[in-house]
Amino acid sequence: METEKLFTIAEALLKPWAKEYKRPDENRLDVYLVREDLLEAVEGLAQARWGYLSAISGVDLVPPAQDGTGENQEGRLEVLYHFCNSAAVLSLRIEIPYSDAHVPSVCGIIPSATIYERELMELFGITVVDTPVPDHLVLPDDWPDGVFPLRKSFTGFDSPQAQES
Amino acid sequence: MQEKVEKFIVPIGPQHPALKEPGHFEFSVDGEEVTGATIRLGFVHRGIEKMTESRTWIQNLYMLERVCGICSHVHGIAYTLGVEKLAGVTVPPRAQAIRTIVLELERIQSHMLWLGVAAHEGGFDTLFMYSWRDRETVMDLFELISGNRVQHSVNLVGGVKYDITAEQKQKILDGVSYLEGRLQYYEKIITTDDTFLGRTRNVGKMTKEEATLLGAVGPTARASGVERDVRVESPYASYPDHPVNIVLDEGGDLTSRFIVRIRELFESIRVIREILTNLPESELTVRVPRRIPAGEVISRVEAPRGELFYYIKSAGGENPYRIKIRTPSLCNWGTVSSVAIGHKLADMPMLLVGIDPCFSCNDRLVTVRQETGSQTMYWEDLRKYGVEYYQ
Repeated sequence: METEKLFTIAEALLKPWAKEYKRPDENRLDVYLVREDLLEAVEGLAQARWGYLSAISGVDLVPPAQDGTGENQEGRLEVLYHFCNSAAVLSLRIEIPYSDAHVPSVCGIIPSATIYERELMELFGITVVDTPVPDHLVLPDDWPDGVFPLRKSFTGFDSPQAQES
Repeated sequence: MQEKVEKFIVPIGPQHPALKEPGHFEFSVDGEEVTGATIRLGFVHRGIEKMTESRTWIQNLYMLERVCGICSHVHGIAYTLGVEKLAGVTVPPRAQAIRTIVLELERIQSHMLWLGVAAHEGGFDTLFMYSWRDRETVMDLFELISGNRVQHSVNLVGGVKYDITAEQKQKILDGVSYLEGRLQYYEKIITTDDTFLGRTRNVGKMTKEEATLLGAVGPTARASGVERDVRVESPYASYPDHPVNIVLDEGGDLTSRFIVRIRELFESIRVIREILTNLPESELTVRVPRRIPAGEVISRVEAPRGELFYYIKSAGGENPYRIKIRTPSLCNWGTVSSVAIGHKLADMPMLLVGIDPCFSCNDRLVTVRQETGSQTMYWEDLRKYGVEYYQ
């Protein structure tokens, strides 16, 4: 099957950096990476011309309710880079903590990623290091700094997150 | 002595004189020639992705169908296909067929709307009026099927609301036959009319490599010979049984983008006929639980403007945990800013409409400006305002 063949190629390409593979669906392959390896992995895919970057999704993973020890766990953010190749969808997944929310820019390899990276920056508050244009894309120019609407802590302008800033 | 080179910037928008939606463009020019282009979007940003997280799976369908007025059905399809997959249900074949018929009718409607706007930008208002008059045929068919012209709202999570009766079937067949004749005439115009070709031939040329690299999708990519069509690559709804043939053109210029969009419609008409003559008999809906099991799904469909991408994550509750929407216009903007360089400023409106941009799709809070200052209205306020206004 075509899709299987494409995933075999992708798995071989990403072998040096992949921490874990998952197949949530017949058309999907999820590859878990650490942030430091992202650029090399994307470069590997781009050089082999494996598909195209279809979208970058951010997800706010709020920590589970306080555990027995009463310690507050830190929330994490997940960034998914979706590459599509025919029916196959490959997602490179990296997780980063709130306190260290930055990812490297992939624009050096895929110039069209700029729009997705700007979205990630203004909606999730993830700093994309070395992205060519860090300006607002969809939010108004007078949008307050430090308010990131797609974080779960943002529930409107009366939310604690917005009050703080 | 070194001469200081100053950049001259022509700002256009946000109230755009040509496009009927708001977007801001800054073209740096050297005389008449464009040397750089930047785009600022977000003037109609509504925060739909955030809103989905506080609404139930059912409520979200109605909201997501309103991401875009031109391609409302395809957003509903991308969402319902994803949610149905998460819920593990299969929609009955007749419902799939009706969904696909409406999808293709929507493509006809959207491309004909675009043809009109593009002709208008090219100074060819006769063609604009012709194509918009003929487009009414499809709008009437939508009204016939669903009672609505624009927001047809045909979908349900788990099926469709409306059946197609034998009488309606005949009317749809008659409608598309009329349109087929008209489209042949439009195809002749766009490929032979000298004045029109003068505005489109070799304008905004994009090679296959550039289109691939810039991540173009839909007719914009196919006009540069890039084989990208989700209906073909990863068929959904009734496309596995009624495959579509991909329509490509190697030209890569504006003429090619016109040709691809018009020829695609002949393919749409063929598929509509094929499905209507083989309309399966079955129920129209299947039961879907109110809580959707935890998991994530990626749903890709081919909107009139190209690949529409939904990433849906459920935490097992009544509301989605996260929905990410990537609309095709967003991908195609990148092509405009790079293709614009080297062209005359006067070609910009044509180049912009060449990708068939849809701003509502890109921009998804409402700030109401009042004399006393601005006031931010939330959903509840807006609803109250709406209810009181119409009392």
